[in-house]
Amino acid sequence: MSDHTQDAATIDLLFRLADDELMMGHRNAEWTGVGPVLEEDIAFSSMAQDELGHAFAYYTVLHEHLGQDNPDTLAFRREAADFRNARLTALPRSDWAAAVMRQFLYDAAEQVRLEHYSSHPFAPLAQLARKFRGEEKYHLMHGKSWVMRLGSATEDSRARLQAALEALWPHALGLFEPGQGGEDAGASEAALCAGWLAQVCPLLVSSSLQVPAERTAKGQWQSRVAAVYGRYAEPAPERVALLDAMQKVYRLDPNADW
Amino acid sequence: MDSDTQWVTWEVLHQEKRGDPHVHVGSVHAPNAEMALILAKEQFARRQKCVNLWVVPTVAIVSMPYDDADIFEAGTDKSYREAWGYKVRERVRAARELDRLDPKEDDAGE
Repeated sequence: MSDHTQDAATIDLLFRLADDELMMGHRNAEWTGVGPVLEEDIAFSSMAQDELGHAFAYYTVLHEHLGQDNPDTLAFRREAADFRNARLTALPRSDWAAAVMRQFLYDAAEQVRLEHYSSHPFAPLAQLARKFRGEEKYHLMHGKSWVMRLGSATEDSRARLQAALEALWPHALGLFEPGQGGEDAGASEAALCAGWLAQVCPLLVSSSLQVPAERTAKGQWQSRVAAVYGRYAEPAPERVALLDAMQKVYRLDPNADW
Repeated sequence: MDSDTQWVTWEVLHQEKRGDPHVHVGSVHAPNAEMALILAKEQFARRQKCVNLWVVPTVAIVSMPYDDADIFEAGTDKSYREAWGYKVRERVRAARELDRLDPKEDDAGE
């Protein structure tokens, strides 16, 4: 592969990573002040800040190593069609069960990804992957704990969690949409998806949930439902709505000194 | 609020570095020990350096009543039990002075 093609694949990958984190951070920050209990409100908000921090770090790598605009410009001045987030990360906030489920499905994917990327041939990415591992490990501990708790608390909490799982599942699979910049040198999306299924399915099952997946004869998990892809498609309405809200103030005066 | 609408509380003890004592820093509401640790992490280790946390059910803490605070008062002068009761500083200064006058006595320095 020529350096040029390699760069295109890396740029595409970093935009996917950064935009997912930015959207997740923004959506989770919408729970600030309305979390189910004070301690959780603080914890969830703090994790939202972690995601924004990761987005900023990825944008910084894009800017410093790959010739892209500065992080503020990438976050606040790009058009919806140029974002590369999976649909899962921008879906509007609904109930707490859905917030917990989205966070869990997303963080499990993050953990599998970062594990692979910690030895990625693109050194700045490998470095970030190693740096973020601790935070993502905590996020996943938090998510697992909530899923197990809501899965076994009351019939209402279990039903809400089940509904959230079914609604979010195809979008979560969409996190592993193959990149259009060419196959990544670090890990294939299919391999990451298999690792993710192996991680989330047993925990969901042990939380009394019906998983939209089954075990094959070889012992691997396989989804029974097709993925919803949306990274490169016509921008989905939730992405447009999120960006409208997030970029609004910045766009009033792009040259303002904050 | 009624006790059955709130999770129970857990006391949180924070350790800044390995070997340091765990210091009580506050409490969190949580339904179980695992969640108490998870929530304590963001409440009490978000800004400070931390290597370890303990959580203890608040109900497990046995406390002495403040009414009995008089048992801590000394009946007579017990200053001999306190470190400042000794004139340590002056003795250290005197020892250093000796060192300085005769460095051969102690080649290891301070």
